[in-house]
Amino acid sequence: MTTSTDLKEFLTAYLVEAEEHVALANQRLLALEAAQRSGGHDARALREIFRSLHTIKGLSAMVGVEPVVAIAHRLEAFVRGYDRLGTAPPLHSTDVLLKGVQAIAQRLTALGRGEAASPPPPELLAELDRLDSTQAALVEQSGPELDLEPELLAKLAPFEVEQAVRGIRSGERGVIAEFFPSPDRAAQGFSINSVRERLSACAEIVRVLPRSLPVSPESPAGLSFVLILLTQASDEQVASAVGVKAATLKPFSTLRAVASPDVPDSIGAPAIDDEENDPLAAGVRRGIVRVDVNRLDDAMEELATLIVTRYRLARAVAALTARGVNTRELSDVVADNARQLRSLRAAIVRVRMVSVSDLLDRVPLLVRGLQRTTNRRVRVELEGTEAELDKSVSERLFPVLVHLVRNAVDHAIETPDERVRRKKPEEGLLRIACRAHSNTRLELTVSDDGRGIDRQAVARKAGRPVPETEAALLELLCMPGLSTRDVATTTSGRGMGMEIVKRVVIDELGGELELATELGTGTTFTLRVPLTIAIVDAFAFECAGQRFVVPVSTVDEIVEVDRAEAVAVPANADGRPNLDIILRRGHAVPVVRLANVFRMTHEPGTGQKAIIVRRAGLPIAFAVDRMLGQQEVVIRPMNDALVRVPGVSGATDLGDGRPTLVLDLVALGTSLGAGGSARSALT
Amino acid sequence: MKLHVVFVVAGVEYALPITFVLQMESFTGATPVPGSPPYVLGVVTLRGRVIPVLDLRRRFGLPAVAPTLDTRIIVTQVGGRVVAFCVDRAREVILLEPERLQPAPELLSERTIGFVNGTYTVGQRLLLLLDLPRISESDHDHEPHALPAADDHRRPALPG
Repeated sequence: MTTSTDLKEFLTAYLVEAEEHVALANQRLLALEAAQRSGGHDARALREIFRSLHTIKGLSAMVGVEPVVAIAHRLEAFVRGYDRLGTAPPLHSTDVLLKGVQAIAQRLTALGRGEAASPPPPELLAELDRLDSTQAALVEQSGPELDLEPELLAKLAPFEVEQAVRGIRSGERGVIAEFFPSPDRAAQGFSINSVRERLSACAEIVRVLPRSLPVSPESPAGLSFVLILLTQASDEQVASAVGVKAATLKPFSTLRAVASPDVPDSIGAPAIDDEENDPLAAGVRRGIVRVDVNRLDDAMEELATLIVTRYRLARAVAALTARGVNTRELSDVVADNARQLRSLRAAIVRVRMVSVSDLLDRVPLLVRGLQRTTNRRVRVELEGTEAELDKSVSERLFPVLVHLVRNAVDHAIETPDERVRRKKPEEGLLRIACRAHSNTRLELTVSDDGRGIDRQAVARKAGRPVPETEAALLELLCMPGLSTRDVATTTSGRGMGMEIVKRVVIDELGGELELATELGTGTTFTLRVPLTIAIVDAFAFECAGQRFVVPVSTVDEIVEVDRAEAVAVPANADGRPNLDIILRRGHAVPVVRLANVFRMTHEPGTGQKAIIVRRAGLPIAFAVDRMLGQQEVVIRPMNDALVRVPGVSGATDLGDGRPTLVLDLVALGTSLGAGGSARSALT
Repeated sequence: MKLHVVFVVAGVEYALPITFVLQMESFTGATPVPGSPPYVLGVVTLRGRVIPVLDLRRRFGLPAVAPTLDTRIIVTQVGGRVVAFCVDRAREVILLEPERLQPAPELLSERTIGFVNGTYTVGQRLLLLLDLPRISESDHDHEPHALPAADDHRRPALPG
């Protein structure tokens, strides 16, 4: 018997991969369903569902999870049947398939918790039995099919397929040509109409399918026509009629003619190649390695210690230099080392990046489930899913997204009846857009076209004055303990989970949260979060004898403060002037001494340098004693309530083995900027 | 019988169940955190984690003293929370019977009221059992006198 550790190791890898395919299958099932609803068929989605189920089955068989093998096998067999038929499975079957995939997911979760996977649910098997009998009837009637691309095949009417098959059986060749219309071609006498006309002399046109393409020199109109032809003429003749090179023509043929009708299992065999779908071979071919995120964290942690060691090394070298030792070569080595560490860091950061689509792809399934329980009809639009972000950021963002989506569907979007009354489309719209806000930040917007948030009602509920701005409203919504259910049902507001949303986005990720809402029209939440966390470039400085660092990304500029030019604001009660104004590019910038803000004892006359940051667009300068240079730092969170204070976002190790505080001067400036608190913080 | 760590703060001996203690170390300084309560000495890094260090003298409302060679920090864990305590001395681990825990005498030390769950008598020695979650709780008012009375000290720790 295998040792338990080995099995455990293997099980983790199995779960990771199987869960990924579960997610993929869910996503494709939804795509399939969407296509069906609009009267079409997404053959590619069906094929991918098949592949995922097949992979799950193979993997589960390898680790001996029989219940999952059994479920996956049944689902796979059903999907395979329709894949071969080239038609969409009946709409109601999607539900059963989703249930089946969910049953698999539940068993994977149980395994992950160290529990055994329960046998397949009998109801599911019974439903699949019913589906299978419908399918069997269909297989009986179905005629032979063509080896066209599934997208093309899906667009052909049954009679066209029949026409093609008949033609090929009677000795004609199936040929596909593609014609790209353009003004140039038109000038040469090639338009789709003239092409049709010329072709009629040498071929039989089964179907002309327009296809939209990205605009390129090859397809200046962003459009092409795919011509499905039957012919006895040569490729050259056909090609000249269409005005293309003969080499661009593609043949097609029937499948049944190749496959023996007596062996149903080989129908469509060229398309579904079992070797290609071998789960092990598939992983190798794509060159993708799946890694437990903890291992990545470990790697990052090791790198963090390496960076700390580098600073110790640099200090030691500096100390030697100070003693008059010739350290030129040593310094070169240290500099090289620094560069290499920087590249290594970039490499590890890249490894940790996952596509935003991993996050967004989970939304449609969530919404589908919510629609049922809430009796809403919602269309989901996802946009701009190419950005990448750190796995840990992505994981933290997911619950946030769930809350926002749930609120939108559950509370914001009206029931279909109500929407009709309000002259809105019956189907609500939930739009999630994602784009890179800068090199370091990602902007995610979650919008709905629901009722909008009623300020008065929220204020009443919270027992506060009616907020005047959207920012104030957001603050109210994020108030801890603002009970949401009442607000939500009586007023259309939100609140559920908003506290969590704020905590994750602002406190944990150091991001921004904005709200735009219009009563009766809809609501948009905008989230801006850093793409990565953990390691940042920072300025180190000294203030009142203590060292601090501040992330470079938050600093506007660093200036000399000339005491003579600074204007002191009249002294306050204790007679000590502590707020100066300097002129910077024609703007008055308030200068506060960090030592005063932090109530640290310091010698008067220090504070020669100032770090300028912007809070809500306005600059504020923090006077410090001495800048110590710029370096990479590993930010460790300071989560304990006792040391969670405004302006301090974490700690780092500059090589002395002690924590150095990482400051968030923007937040500190904001906490100062709030009216009276500024004065009280400064005294 | 349960193992307890015994430590001294301002001449008084305290006991802490060893199950809460992660490790003990000599005190080599902590980084002050501006804006934290006055009894928080600062933060130290322990195995990659940044943890607060509380000065038990100041937590009990006693004047602070300069650290000596005997000064120790006791790193504790309650639930997921890791907090270190700076104490005058900590050298002993002893076995105590939980059944023999007695309520704290009224006038024992009014400064430590609310931080003590009860007392143990071991020969001539009196050991105060520290209420760990209570002591690392952050209260809005940093004045120890303003703390709730002893009957209230069992309320759940770790707010938020």
